[in-house]
Amino acid sequence: MEIGQTARAMQVWPWISTVARLGLAAVWLIAGGLKVGDLAASGRAVNAYQIFPYEIAKVIGAAQPFLEIALGLLLLAGLAVRLSAGISAALLVIFIAGIVSAWVRGLQIDCGCFSTGGALGAGAEPAYGWDIARDLGFLVLAGILLWRPRTRFSIDGILMGDDQ
Amino acid sequence: MSKSTKERAQAKRIVQEQLARERRRTVTLWTTVGVVAVLVIAGFIGWAAVASQDKDTSGKLTVPTAAVDDGTAFARGSGPVIIDIYEDFMCPACHQFETGAGPTLTQLVDAGKVTVRYHPIAILDRFSSTEYSTRSAGAAAAAAQGGKFLEYHDVLYANQPPENSAGLDDAKLIELGKSVGLTDQAFADAIKNKTYTAWAAKVTDTASARGVTGTPTVMVAGKKLDNPTPEALSAAVGAAGA
Repeated sequence: MEIGQTARAMQVWPWISTVARLGLAAVWLIAGGLKVGDLAASGRAVNAYQIFPYEIAKVIGAAQPFLEIALGLLLLAGLAVRLSAGISAALLVIFIAGIVSAWVRGLQIDCGCFSTGGALGAGAEPAYGWDIARDLGFLVLAGILLWRPRTRFSIDGILMGDDQ
Repeated sequence: MSKSTKERAQAKRIVQEQLARERRRTVTLWTTVGVVAVLVIAGFIGWAAVASQDKDTSGKLTVPTAAVDDGTAFARGSGPVIIDIYEDFMCPACHQFETGAGPTLTQLVDAGKVTVRYHPIAILDRFSSTEYSTRSAGAAAAAAQGGKFLEYHDVLYANQPPENSAGLDDAKLIELGKSVGLTDQAFADAIKNKTYTAWAAKVTDTASARGVTGTPTVMVAGKKLDNPTPEALSAAVGAAGA
């Protein structure tokens, strides 16, 4: 009985991890894709957090969409899943910290998570709570992959010679 | 005999497991190296893209001769207190601000109390399919060059297209110019040739570097007004000593 349950769990986890992997890949590809068309706006969005000097914010804002797309592609292909998930988790923690700090300082900004935000129109309320909750959800996906990085239909599986 | 077969099979399995482990280590090492390289290259591509964009725009930069404040704004009036207004012609809140505070601004300018500096920035390009923010800011620069900035500024707001639309096309921008007396070819050419597109990017960049994160941003004597109502504007000008 005990063994039967464990065996079933061993069969189910790769599928759960596969869903997490593809979900996280979609998150990065969409987030990066929405920003990559206007790098200047992406830089302004980073600058809106008022954490870095403008020149540095500009460089971060320009590099970020490409990083996000690269991570998305790596996860989509299933290459070095545990490492990609670890880097994803680190980035998400940084993003959450950024939003929290904007919230604490009372800045009225769009988090720029899925847009080249930065600016909020007069009267528009920032949705920091929701932004953080959403990022925490993504963090859970990354956590699943850190814990159980073996997934179906992945390059890792082929390289490692796993049964697919 | 049977025992030695079993031992041999076991030994074989141990060797195989060791080989598999080694293979996993090699694969992990090289995929790690690969992933880090991919991410570094991706980041570098972004940096290079922005660096080359900056180089492009600085090459094409045409600053309207009428511009003040480091070539980023157009001044109205000559009073002692400076009011900086950062606006995007696509921004409905800016239109509201202009409608509400316009008469107060005119009063303050006419009374010789203030200098208003208009900074037409372009942060809402994503709200039109034609980068209307950039094109209208560029058109406003062309109007300033033709000596009609304020008139054109007002007519742009009077004809403001809704967000998430195509925005006004170049022909319409030229037509609006004609309606305020910008009938010369230079104005139309500047719009058609995108003469001031790089300038609009520069003004936006400068505003961002100064901490402007939204529009309208109104500063009186360098201090940001959180809620720029006409009353707050008058009060801030009074407090600034005019």
